[in-house]
Amino acid sequence: MKDPYLPEKAAIERIRRETVDTKTYTVRLLEERKRGEFSAKPGQFIMVSLFGIGEAPFSLSSSPNSDGSFNATVRAVGNLTSALDRFEEGAIIGVRGPYGHGWPVESARGKDVLVIAGGIGLPPLRPVVTKIAEERRHYGRLEILYGARTPDQMIFPYEYEDWRKIKDTRLELTVDSVPPGTVWQYNVGVVTTLFNEMKTSAENSLVMTCGPEIMMRFVVRGLLAKGFAPDQIYVSLERRMKCGIAQCGHCQIGPKYVCRDGPVFRLSDIQGLPDLAL
Amino acid sequence: MKKDLKSWVGSLTDSYIVCGPKPKGNNFAFERIHSPEEIVLDYPTTILPLKKFLVPPSEAILRFEEGSVRHPPKGGASKTLLFGVHPCDASSFAVLDKVFIGEYRDDRYAKRRENIVTVVIACSEPGETCFCSSTGTGPSMEQGYDVLLTDLEDRYLVESGSPEGDKLIRKIPGAAPPKPTDYDRKKRSIEDTLKKFKRKVVTDGLPELFRKNMDNPMWIQIRDIDLACGQCVLVCPTCYCFDIHDTSEVTSANGERVREWDCCVLLEFADVAMGGNFRKDRGARIRQFMGHNLSYCIEQFGRFKCVGCGRCIQACPVQIDITEVASKVRGG
Repeated sequence: MKDPYLPEKAAIERIRRETVDTKTYTVRLLEERKRGEFSAKPGQFIMVSLFGIGEAPFSLSSSPNSDGSFNATVRAVGNLTSALDRFEEGAIIGVRGPYGHGWPVESARGKDVLVIAGGIGLPPLRPVVTKIAEERRHYGRLEILYGARTPDQMIFPYEYEDWRKIKDTRLELTVDSVPPGTVWQYNVGVVTTLFNEMKTSAENSLVMTCGPEIMMRFVVRGLLAKGFAPDQIYVSLERRMKCGIAQCGHCQIGPKYVCRDGPVFRLSDIQGLPDLAL
Repeated sequence: MKKDLKSWVGSLTDSYIVCGPKPKGNNFAFERIHSPEEIVLDYPTTILPLKKFLVPPSEAILRFEEGSVRHPPKGGASKTLLFGVHPCDASSFAVLDKVFIGEYRDDRYAKRRENIVTVVIACSEPGETCFCSSTGTGPSMEQGYDVLLTDLEDRYLVESGSPEGDKLIRKIPGAAPPKPTDYDRKKRSIEDTLKKFKRKVVTDGLPELFRKNMDNPMWIQIRDIDLACGQCVLVCPTCYCFDIHDTSEVTSANGERVREWDCCVLLEFADVAMGGNFRKDRGARIRQFMGHNLSYCIEQFGRFKCVGCGRCIQACPVQIDITEVASKVRGG
C-alpha cells in the first residue's frame, strides 16, 4: 500500500506575484499518470514539501486546470513560506493530497451564495467563484465581500472585473486603511462594515467565509444578527498541521481534526468547541 | 507450576527479542531480557509506557537523496515479545492502532505492531495512582493479549488470546490443563483486586460533562499551578501526537524527514503563521490533554483514550490529577 507520507514530485510552472509578500504558484505533478488522477474540490488543501526544509498545508486557489496543473496562493510569513518565496519557476517541490472537506458547493446549488473573505482568506474561496461562474445557472445570486488591510494587499485584483461580469454577481471591496498617496474608490473599514449594504438575505442562501479567525468571529456575529442560521454558515479554519491525515494531532479542536473533518466546517457543527475564537 | 515460568521464558528468548520489566533505580522499565532470571512479574507501573515499541521517540520517515524521495533503509523486523505487560499498557495499543492503522495505514507502525507479541499479567496490587478499573482496562482484560497470566498463588492460569498465543502456550514445559475451578479463582482474584483501588473515575456521561465544563473555574486553578512541562504527555501510553520536520546534511542537498513525539501542553504545539496560537493559555493546553483522554476520544475512537495507568498523576510535579478533574466536572 502507498505510504501516505510519500509526496509526489511536482514542478512550479508559473509564479505570479500578488502582493509584496504573496505569490500564486502554478504547480503540476511530474508523473503524467498521477496528473490525471489528481482531482480536488473547492476548499481542499495540499501538503507542500520543500525537501530538506519541511512540509506545510496550503489551500488550493484553483481547481485542477485542464493540463493537470493547479494553483496555491501563499503568503511568505514563516520559515517554509519564506523559503518557497525564493523558489523560481521550474523548481521541484513535493505534493500530497488533496485533503479535507471543502466548501459545500453541491448543497449550495439552487441557493444564493455569500462569500466573505479577509486577506489571505480569499484564495481558498476563489475556486468557489470559478465554479459558480462555470455552472452559473445552477446557483442563485453570488455576492462577494472582500476585505484587506490596504489596497495593495488585495489578492487577485486582476480578476475582479471578470468576477463583476458574472451574471447576478456583486463584488464589494473594503480595506482597513488607505495609506497616503494611494487611490481607493471603495469602502474603508473592516469587512463587516459592508453588511449594511449586503444584498444576500438569510432566505435560501449559504455563506462561505475565510479569513483571520477574529474576522470570522465578527462576521459570524453580524450574520447571526441578520437572521442567518448557524447551519447555513461555513467557515474555513487554520490550525497547525503536520500530517494532513488525522495522525499528528496538531490540528485538533475538541474532537475534530481540522485536516480531516475540515478545514471547512459548518458553524453549527463546531459551536461550543474549545480553543476556537468563533 | 510457577517454577516452570523461567524455563518457558528461557525457551522464548531463542525465537523472540524478549523485553520485560527490569529494575531501574527505584523503578522499573521495559528493557531487553537476556536471562529468565531477570523476569519480574510483581512490579509497579513502569515510569515510561510501552509506546516506544510501536512509535519510536524519533524516526526518519523519508530520505531525500540526489533529487529523489525514498524510504530510509528498514531495520530487520524481529518479533518482540513483551513479557509481563500490565492490562492498562496492553490496552493502550488498541488506541494507537486506531490512529496509525485506522483511516490511513502507516506501514512503519503496522510492521512493528505485527511483530509485537504480548504476555500480559493481570494486576493484583494496583498502585496508588491506578484507576484502570474505572476505564475498563484492568486489572485484567478480556481481549487484546496474546497470552494472559493470572496469578492463582500456587500457579498461573495461562490463557491464549490469539493464534500466536496458542503457539506460545504449547512451549510451556510441564503445563497442566487448567481446572474448571481455576476460572472461579481468577474471577475471585479480580474481585479482590477491584476492592484495592484507591482512585476511581465515574465514566458514565463523563465525555459530555467534560464538554460542558470548558469554563469550569478549576481550569484557572490548574493553570495557575501548571508548569506546562509536558511530563504527563511523555508518560501517557496513548499520547501519540508528533511533529514532522526535515533535516539536511551540511555538505549536500541530502536529508531526512523526521517524525518525533510532540506534546500538546507545550506552547509551540499550536503555533500557526504570523505569531498566532489557538492555545496560548496553559489552562487551555492541559484541558486539551485531559479532554482528549476523557472526552474527545469517544467521538474519535469510540473509546476512552485514557487507560487509567495513573502515570500522569505520578509524573506531575505539581500534583495535577486527572481523576480529580474527572470528579470536578461532575461538580465533585
